Amino acid sequence: MGAANTLAAPATPGLRAAHASRGWQAARRRAFAFGLAPALIVLLAITLVPAAALVVASLTPLSLTDPAGTFHFRDPLGNYRHLLEDTRFLGSIATQLKLSAASVALQLAVGLALALLLNRPSRVLGAVRGAFLIPMVLPPIVVALIWKILFTPDVSPLHHALESIGWPVRSLIANPDTALWAIAFADTWQWFPFTMLMVLAALQMMPADPLEAASLDGASRWQLFRYIVFPHIRPVLVVCGLFRLIDSFKAFPLIFVLTDGGPGNVTEVTNYYGFIQAFNFSYWGYASAIATVILAGVFALSWLVGRLGWSDHGKH
Amino acid sequence: MASTDAALQIPALDTASGARRKRPGRLRRHGRAAAALALLAATLFPFLWLVQLAFKPAADLFDSSLLFVPTLDGFRALLQGSFPRSFLNSLAVSTLSTAMSLAIGVPAAYALTRWRFPGRRHVALWILVTRMAPPIAFTIPFFLAYRWLGLQDTLLGLALVYLTFNLAIVIWLMQTFFEAVPTALEEAAYIDGCGVWQAFWRITLPLAAPGVAATAVLCFIFAWNDFFYALILTRTQAVTAPVAIVNFLQYEGWEWSKIAAGGTLVMFPVVLFTVLVRKYLVHGLTAGGVKD
Repeated sequence: MGAANTLAAPATPGLRAAHASRGWQAARRRAFAFGLAPALIVLLAITLVPAAALVVASLTPLSLTDPAGTFHFRDPLGNYRHLLEDTRFLGSIATQLKLSAASVALQLAVGLALALLLNRPSRVLGAVRGAFLIPMVLPPIVVALIWKILFTPDVSPLHHALESIGWPVRSLIANPDTALWAIAFADTWQWFPFTMLMVLAALQMMPADPLEAASLDGASRWQLFRYIVFPHIRPVLVVCGLFRLIDSFKAFPLIFVLTDGGPGNVTEVTNYYGFIQAFNFSYWGYASAIATVILAGVFALSWLVGRLGWSDHGKH
Repeated sequence: MASTDAALQIPALDTASGARRKRPGRLRRHGRAAAALALLAATLFPFLWLVQLAFKPAADLFDSSLLFVPTLDGFRALLQGSFPRSFLNSLAVSTLSTAMSLAIGVPAAYALTRWRFPGRRHVALWILVTRMAPPIAFTIPFFLAYRWLGLQDTLLGLALVYLTFNLAIVIWLMQTFFEAVPTALEEAAYIDGCGVWQAFWRITLPLAAPGVAATAVLCFIFAWNDFFYALILTRTQAVTAPVAIVNFLQYEGWEWSKIAAGGTLVMFPVVLFTVLVRKYLVHGLTAGGVKD
């Protein structure tokens, strides 16, 4: 190697430069690997290792009463078999689907409508756009607190107003027929700004020419929206919907503060049921199986996001 | 006027110029602004109700009237309890978690931006997916591990758990900021004999400083807003402000002005930061969602 270098060097200086550059490239790669490694190791330790531990724990009947004695693999699929027979678990999935469907649909509708309303260059509307973001950035526990106040007849201005016109109403969160919808409503209040933001961004990237051409041809407002604007923002709406759907599986503070899963267990979603099994009953193995099911659902949806929204990102 | 509007307008029908079209157009725009303001008022009403409740004297608590003499009793009651300590805990945990995620995440984001290695996309995707994972999946293993490691109910333990979402945020966001810094400057530094990290430290990082600041704010907010991990992994020593508020609700549920004062204090830093870094915040909140 060294001999080749000394031979080649006098004749072709370019080759030496190439050699040096190759060494430099290797050094650069090493430096980058050195910078990336700590993050990957930490991420591995705090995400993949716990996920693996979760799956392992889900194969055991691990519980608080006898942690050492219950950590065995005599019946690895026992928890999962039990899940299929557990009506409370199956009910929690139905509750989850109802809550997710209602709140995601409402968020998309409200977010889309507001984005269309606010999509004009105007100073007033610009300021309003910013203020509409407040619900989304508030700490979730404060959002829960706000709605706890509004749903508590003692201190709620809404209940007072209804009472004063002679129409007292039971608290929505204490009524089994309305509790879930009350939570969906509060969740929508918190998260519609996300859809609004994304749709506004998409609308502002929309080319103006097709709209102008269509309106010159006499297209109505509705036709413009239906055939030009909507097709343009549909991908964003799909990604928004999936993002919010994934996040809706994690809904916790609202349910914890507003209803605690009740009345009865009409607002007990899967995530909440897992929490109760793990930290109220200390059935860690069983709760791990529940969490594994949720994790699998989230991964499936994330994969869908990757297929739909993210594949273009990688290419550009 | 008409042409600048048309660029962002959906129904272009009313952009046809002419003296007669102008007045309805203006009316319509004012109507739009009025509708937007009315909706904003309705949307923010629940939020403002909490704030006014914090200043309400106990005697007027069950009265919906807004005519009252504001008082700081609620805040004073908070100061006497354990709330100041949990507030400091929240500050400490959020700061520690932000510092750790930046220290580990910023170099990694830089390497991911500048180094096109095979499998890079998969690594980036994995990092994004960690943000999606449901907290309950991490909480059970962390809870069990912390019992063994003695990290339960400690600020360090909580800050470590927050890395599960904050590290992904840092790596994800900082990539877009580093992409915006031209490589020509770094290449000039290499020719002058700078190493990769020396060039990064002296040239790229200062140029990306606003991005680092914005990312830090977002990390802080995400850690500050967490409730689930703090509820499970703390007992008495490391209780954070959101958990403290819930304790009020459960044990002193009738003291609404104290509870509302606590809520107001907890959201104050977040709302303040939102005003300060609104533009970047929007970017971070939609991370991974918009193709940019």
